[in-house]
Amino acid sequence: MKFPRIKGPRGVALIFLAFFGFFFLEFYGKIFERGVGNYLKWQNSERPQLGRIWERDRQEILAQSKIQSIRLGLDSLQEATDAIGSFKTMLEGLEPAFPLVLSRQKFLDLYYDFPGQWSTIVISPFELISIDSQKNWTRVLLKRFGQWITIGFLDPKNIPVHEIFLETDALEEVLATRTVKRGRLEESGFEEDRVYSAAVFLPVLRTLDPKTQSAVFPDPRWFLAKGYSLTRVGVRESASESDFPRHLIFGIEYDADYHTGVLLIPVPLEIANNMLSQIERTDSELPGEEFTTMTSPSGDNP
Amino acid sequence: MIRRLGERIIFIFYTLTLLGLLGGAGIYFVFSRDLPQLPDSLENINLSLPTEIYSADGERIKVRGQRYPVSLEDISPNFLKAIMAVEDSNFYEHSGLDHLALVRALYTNVSQRQIRQGGSTITQQLSKNLFFSFERNWVRKIKELLVALQLEATFSKEQILEAYCNQIYFGSGAYGIEEAAQVYFHKRAKKLTLLQAALLAGLPNSPNNANPFNNYERSTRRAEYVLERMVKEQFLSQEKKEEALDSLLELASPKENDDPNLYFVNFVIDRLEQNYGKEFVRFGGIKVFTTLDTRLQRSAQKAARSHLKTLERKIKPRNVNIPLQAALVAIENQSGAVRVMLGGGSYSHSQFNRAISDNRPSGSSFKPFVYLTAMEKLGYTPATTLRDEPILVDIPGTEPWEPKNFSDEYAGDIILKKAMMRSANSVSVKLIQEVTPRRVIKTARLFGITSQLGNHLSLALGTSGVSPLELASAYSMIANLGVYNKPYFIQRIEDFEGNPIYENFYHGIQRFPQKSIYPLLDMMRGVVDGGTGNIVRRMGFKHPAAGKTGTTNNSKDAWFNGFTKDFSVSVWVGYDDNEPMIVRSGRGLTGGGAAAPIWVLFMKKVLQGKNRVKFPVPEGIKFEKVDARSGTLPDEQSVETMNVALKEEVIIPPRVLELEKTQLGQASVNSTTTSELVDVVSNP
Repeated sequence: MKFPRIKGPRGVALIFLAFFGFFFLEFYGKIFERGVGNYLKWQNSERPQLGRIWERDRQEILAQSKIQSIRLGLDSLQEATDAIGSFKTMLEGLEPAFPLVLSRQKFLDLYYDFPGQWSTIVISPFELISIDSQKNWTRVLLKRFGQWITIGFLDPKNIPVHEIFLETDALEEVLATRTVKRGRLEESGFEEDRVYSAAVFLPVLRTLDPKTQSAVFPDPRWFLAKGYSLTRVGVRESASESDFPRHLIFGIEYDADYHTGVLLIPVPLEIANNMLSQIERTDSELPGEEFTTMTSPSGDNP
Repeated sequence: MIRRLGERIIFIFYTLTLLGLLGGAGIYFVFSRDLPQLPDSLENINLSLPTEIYSADGERIKVRGQRYPVSLEDISPNFLKAIMAVEDSNFYEHSGLDHLALVRALYTNVSQRQIRQGGSTITQQLSKNLFFSFERNWVRKIKELLVALQLEATFSKEQILEAYCNQIYFGSGAYGIEEAAQVYFHKRAKKLTLLQAALLAGLPNSPNNANPFNNYERSTRRAEYVLERMVKEQFLSQEKKEEALDSLLELASPKENDDPNLYFVNFVIDRLEQNYGKEFVRFGGIKVFTTLDTRLQRSAQKAARSHLKTLERKIKPRNVNIPLQAALVAIENQSGAVRVMLGGGSYSHSQFNRAISDNRPSGSSFKPFVYLTAMEKLGYTPATTLRDEPILVDIPGTEPWEPKNFSDEYAGDIILKKAMMRSANSVSVKLIQEVTPRRVIKTARLFGITSQLGNHLSLALGTSGVSPLELASAYSMIANLGVYNKPYFIQRIEDFEGNPIYENFYHGIQRFPQKSIYPLLDMMRGVVDGGTGNIVRRMGFKHPAAGKTGTTNNSKDAWFNGFTKDFSVSVWVGYDDNEPMIVRSGRGLTGGGAAAPIWVLFMKKVLQGKNRVKFPVPEGIKFEKVDARSGTLPDEQSVETMNVALKEEVIIPPRVLELEKTQLGQASVNSTTTSELVDVVSNP
């Protein structure tokens, strides 16, 4: 084996000097540790985020994203609840597995916003006032279980202070079917020759007794509070023959600030015909309009 | 010659240097791929949002994941010197690697052929704490060193020391110097005296063994060693050291880990982790508002401990030192909120939660479900007569079963209410024979009992294991006249900003008609007022209450499950090793003697200062006085009469009709519905 030759004492000295220099720098300047440390620092961003603190970070992110997702779900539920436009929709939209929670205010808004007496038949306003007198009703929980809907009035601890049980059949009652549609009367299936101006309709309405008035028309406050201006009234037969056999549909058209809407009200045939005959008398004084009494779509009607 | 020797030395030197460089480079390239990235800052590494758990009465009962990081200025210089003296005396000189310490550790480890010393600098320890497992091996040591070198190159010495002080574990659940100072001395880290600082500096090396709460002697010896090191490293003069050793340590008393709330709290945490995942609870920073009433929980523990102590004195001494245990669950009937959950006599001695995890046979506490099934399915009433007598049940393939009454005494003809009050086993077995165990299981399931129940006749005597939580919940349904409220523990959960992310809503379900449940409730009132649970009255509990005792074979388990209008409480007493509870006289303990007194002591506290509230009587219920033996209307032959609650349609016949009925060969069922009675009358 051949060893490298040292060329004179200068070479030896140089080598020793180099080593001495390295050890000197290492001893006083920690050149090795700093070199490695700085090299690692330089390529820090290229390395993976491994280890306990990164794992904890990941867990934190995971936990927060779970919370975020729960919050999103609750927020969208809240938005859906806020968007409920009518007392009837609120009850109709209930799914058995998804109870609905409404604030007291929202519930009362919907309750009193119904264009008719149906909501007050479902829950008496006196019952509400009695619940309210306990001063601990903050929210309402609506649950559907089979054919039953439970309306629970909750205290701040979510304990029901009062519960009302409602059969889903009640949603199908004629009184419950007052609905609102966007658009003009014609778009809701009302024919032009059966559409009358508000000026013709309202005087006739005023002549009716209060009970009949409420069967034909909502509390005027419903229009006034919302800033709806009554324009026309139409009459047509029910779209589905089986829905309301002995009923006609009154369409009350109104103008809102940015849209036109129609409130659809099923009216018993007798009342409807009575009103229409009065309108005819009024109209007959006007040239060019004629009126025909309507019959119920069901065949057994006399 | 000298030249050749020199050449050889230089060759070897070259070779070794080259090998060293190649080896170093090889090690680097092998391990650098797995090296973790360092964070941009060390300031926030200790911070995560703590999860807080609150009781129903507003007390913050548990905080998880809270850290108390402090800056170097807020740490006593005594501690900083002490920790450096004992862990890394060259901290300010090295760049992550202390050569001398490493050589010393290498020598020790190689000579002892195992890793005994780390020789780690503070930076290396921080590196280990932040990124690596606590497993000791060479690979991890090398990676730890490389990360330490980078830490040194990236952060200042002060930043590293501060992060280290806030990160290390000091035992007793204390992470970081601030928390350690609070736990051990009830003071801020900047206020630590020299001796206190030395003691704490000695802990990270051996946080459990040198813990002053566990081993005071060892911890003070370690503190002395730390002071010695400080003198040696010239951080301290000899005189100061002597002064420190003469000073008072002022060690705080250990934090009592006997918090009875922890049974409840840990159960809630387990449930949350099951439902949402561990990270949700540990790192979610959530606020959990529970149903626990800490005042009642303390009362429950006090009641259990006090009576267990009395029982221990009465019980025959045993060879093994296993303490008598108790479990108690209290549920608010109206809502189903679990207000108390006591899993054992003392949390510090045993963390096992007997209230939910230890399903033990319920004994006669199960009988109400048998009686209700019989009343619902067979049309029996509390006035129905059965014969309490020794019976022999043929079981195909095995020896006949001979269930006996507790005291082996039999009452003969007896109405069901009386049988329930006496807890007659033979009557219960006869009932289950008639209705079948399958039907009883169905009833129990409707009461919310989810534990496995044996489909056999002995179920009538409560041979299947159930938990106190299940029984409290099931009895709560009786108190609610058939409305089942699922027991719940969490009222609300909020995220760290206070937004609700979960709310519990009441969901009561009427599972049995009220007038079916009330007669059972009335029978159970009889148990408390004049039956096996009469100790409740003898101990001066005056509120209207109902319940049922339970004692299993050889007195291995003692139960009392009872309720008032507002609360249902289940109490279990027994040994963990399932041994009998025998008193010195040789008699076994019963549910009435072992469990009911705990119930009374607890309920007295719960209802202290509250009005006595009667159970509401539902519509369709009437009360009748009947002969306790024949179940007929009382007459001059009646020896004992009893008031029973009956459904309105039930008619109690006079004794003469009963005789006629017997002549007609009808069964011993003597209380009949109106139509049945008409039959009897019209067909004499």
